[in-house]
Amino acid sequence: MDVRYVLGAVVVAFGLCGLAFTVQPAGGAAVSPVSFDETLSMGMTGVDVRDAEAAGYEIPRGQAFYAQYQYVIGYYGVEAMVEQLESGHAVRQFGEPVALFVTEFSGAQPSLTDDGYLDLDNDPGVDWVRADHAVYAVDSDARTTAGPTVVPFERRADAERFTDEYGGRVVDWDAVRERYGERPAVARERQAGLVENRTAWADRRVAASASLLDRPRSVVVGRDAPTVQAAVERAPPNTTVYVPPGTYEENVTITKPLTLRGAGERTVVDGGGNGTVIRANASGVALADLTIRGVGPRDLGTGEGNVSGWDAKIQLVYGRGDAGILLSGANRSLVSNVTVDTGANGVIARYSDGTVVDGLVVNGTDQWQDGSMGVLTMYSRAVVQESTFEGGRDGVYTHRSDDLVVRNNEMRGMRYGVHEMYTSGALVRNNTFSDADAGVIVMSRPRENVILDNDVRDSDVGVSLAGDASYVTGNVLVGGGTGMTIAGTRSMYANNTVVDNDIGLRSDTILPSNRVVENDVAGNDAPATASSGPVAVWTSGGRGNYWAGAPGLDRDGDGVLDRPYRPADEVDRALAESPAGPTVARSPALGLLREAQAVAPGLRRSDVIDTGPLVEPSRPDVLTEVNAT
Amino acid sequence: MSDGRLRQVRALAQRELDAVVRTRTYLVLVTLFGLAVASVPALGGAGGYLPLVLNLMTPVEVLVPVLAFAFGYQAIRADAERGELDVIRTYPVRRATYVLGVFLGRATAVLAAVLVPLALAATFVPLASQPAPSFLASAATVDDPIYYVRFVSITGVYAVVALGIAVAVSTVARTRREGLALAVSTLLVVVVGLDLAVVGGLTTGVVGPDGLGATLALSPASAFRGLVLAFAATPVAGASAPAPAALPSVVGLLGWLIGTLALATVTVWRT
Repeated sequence: MDVRYVLGAVVVAFGLCGLAFTVQPAGGAAVSPVSFDETLSMGMTGVDVRDAEAAGYEIPRGQAFYAQYQYVIGYYGVEAMVEQLESGHAVRQFGEPVALFVTEFSGAQPSLTDDGYLDLDNDPGVDWVRADHAVYAVDSDARTTAGPTVVPFERRADAERFTDEYGGRVVDWDAVRERYGERPAVARERQAGLVENRTAWADRRVAASASLLDRPRSVVVGRDAPTVQAAVERAPPNTTVYVPPGTYEENVTITKPLTLRGAGERTVVDGGGNGTVIRANASGVALADLTIRGVGPRDLGTGEGNVSGWDAKIQLVYGRGDAGILLSGANRSLVSNVTVDTGANGVIARYSDGTVVDGLVVNGTDQWQDGSMGVLTMYSRAVVQESTFEGGRDGVYTHRSDDLVVRNNEMRGMRYGVHEMYTSGALVRNNTFSDADAGVIVMSRPRENVILDNDVRDSDVGVSLAGDASYVTGNVLVGGGTGMTIAGTRSMYANNTVVDNDIGLRSDTILPSNRVVENDVAGNDAPATASSGPVAVWTSGGRGNYWAGAPGLDRDGDGVLDRPYRPADEVDRALAESPAGPTVARSPALGLLREAQAVAPGLRRSDVIDTGPLVEPSRPDVLTEVNAT
Repeated sequence: MSDGRLRQVRALAQRELDAVVRTRTYLVLVTLFGLAVASVPALGGAGGYLPLVLNLMTPVEVLVPVLAFAFGYQAIRADAERGELDVIRTYPVRRATYVLGVFLGRATAVLAAVLVPLALAATFVPLASQPAPSFLASAATVDDPIYYVRFVSITGVYAVVALGIAVAVSTVARTRREGLALAVSTLLVVVVGLDLAVVGGLTTGVVGPDGLGATLALSPASAFRGLVLAFAATPVAGASAPAPAALPSVVGLLGWLIGTLALATVTVWRT
């Protein structure tokens, strides 16, 4: 081996490497805005966006390129972008923003509708412009379906013309950041406020609806009228029709505020397999102490009917199956202490705001494919409580029923326990689920849903949530396939007890922006998995989650292990399970591997890291209780 | 340098390279080093060139001096022990020529041993990358192979400097036992000792925040780290703090190289 050639080769290679110092790395090069459809979007709910699209109104949008994240993040509403930038979460997870763009309306001649929605005379005139080059009309009458909104313009004169006509003032980018940066997107106080608000409303509704059971008795079936239907027709409004024990083979329609009350299990209304058994088309109807059988076989509607809107199909298919009870346009109605045996739906509430369902028992089909929903709400802010659901498709299915409350129910053996679609601001609290495909599942990107203190056992998925600024806290998820999926945006997953599942927590978003803290995770085959996206950091304010057996020491006594834990990693998983774990954890070789891995998470392959694993569980008593059973 | 001396350097370098190639144990050493480097992206995951630089920085800082010392700490003392040095001195060879020849021969081997595994480690990045969903727009992140190439260059310089120190050790030590003890002590000083001294200086107030940059450059390991942060991990290092100044580190490394080679030249034999 001639030293001249080897040395020559080494020197040449070295020299070529040296050229790297003369080249400017590509990062931070000029970026240009992409089509909004190709971004990972967050900020407004699916309903708000689809409403605006259907009505042809414009939503101001933003998009952000981050230095350490390969995807572009799109924001519905400039406020949402500012909020995330100022929260610090974005920088921690994705690195510094390289470029920020907003849609500007200088060329689009925007006007506002009577409701304050942005209407454009010239749609193609909407353009992307760098956020710091735009000026912004704030505090004007402009709004989206989600609330007041900032309107960006490229030219100050256009913005001023806009504020002259619609109020507000014109400010620059820095002022916008200052104004909207303060709001905490996800916070325990916000959750507490939501819970208090929804609970108080539900309590008021339940108390108010109880008075429907005090209406004077006017007609007794069998004595004053031959059939239930005849009794209903004969009874004056705001009175009670009493149905004595017995089986009544008929279908009943109620079109005035009336209470229909039986003797409990012994009063059976049997529809004979013929469509919906009892329907109410008036506000203030109460149905109490009844057993309903013989519900028609159609679990879904045919899709035929006269309904408009982008969700017409959903309304006509899901909302038009057979049911034990149908409340249609029956605001502030009550279903109390009723049992329904059904091969289709139990109770359907359509456009029946303020409905209370209390003490309902629904016995559905053994195979969920054969049945339908226990309670199905559409455009109905309902309270569903103290009820039992067995079998069937979904226990409670909601469509556009914002702010509904589902609490203290028991659900067994079905597809989904609670299934929220296009429903925001709902409270699902203190329910128990078992043997379901999923306990609670929230779809279609809503916002501010609260899943609190539920208990899900032996189900394929405990809680699966999509949406923005939502809360999954204090739930007990035991013995299932996956405890929780961590998805959605800017949401909080906290203080849940996740035990004995195949997978504890499944990171399921390529846009990690959630807070995952103070969960107690023990005894799962895999504490966590990461299915897509970059490394998710599950630590907030220095505190992470309790991973049973996570190795490490807490030398400063702050309750947090000094060593980061990677729950989705085979090595750390083994370390947590083996008594030899702490020995390996202190190996400098492993330390070298781990050391830099918390840096630049946005650039790394899918993984989960908790930089502040907790020494003690956040709810030790719950964990002990779960482990004991 | 005259033609004659150049030929002498070449002959000496060739002799050293032959000695290295003949010694199979070195091959084992290089393989182990390569495995250690490759294990970082293989076990730790890379995902990008910048993360790879960050992951490799500390292992390389420790392992490269070890490798260089293994190649260099006996280089000249072995010649002396076997009496070959006396034979060489019968030729009209100057001390500097001899030291330079030995150094270049060993440096060739060390650089090859360092650069090849590092180049192989980089191949993990494209191999392990996850394909992006096609419906999403991807933007260029700060990640760039340029950073990794810079890292390799800086590592090469660091290896050469470490070898210089090792060669100096091999001239100072007089016996085999002394050579081993001196090599291990020097290695400890280079890898941790000097940095500990700087920390001690900070604790006692001998070194203040103003002089820290210059003082750190006195330690080859810190100079290496500083250069990597300044040039090969800029987006990460520079995000929260200004990148460390590069000049003191460059001067520090060059100083060590020239200084140790000069020391070797002076001590290799008495004129």
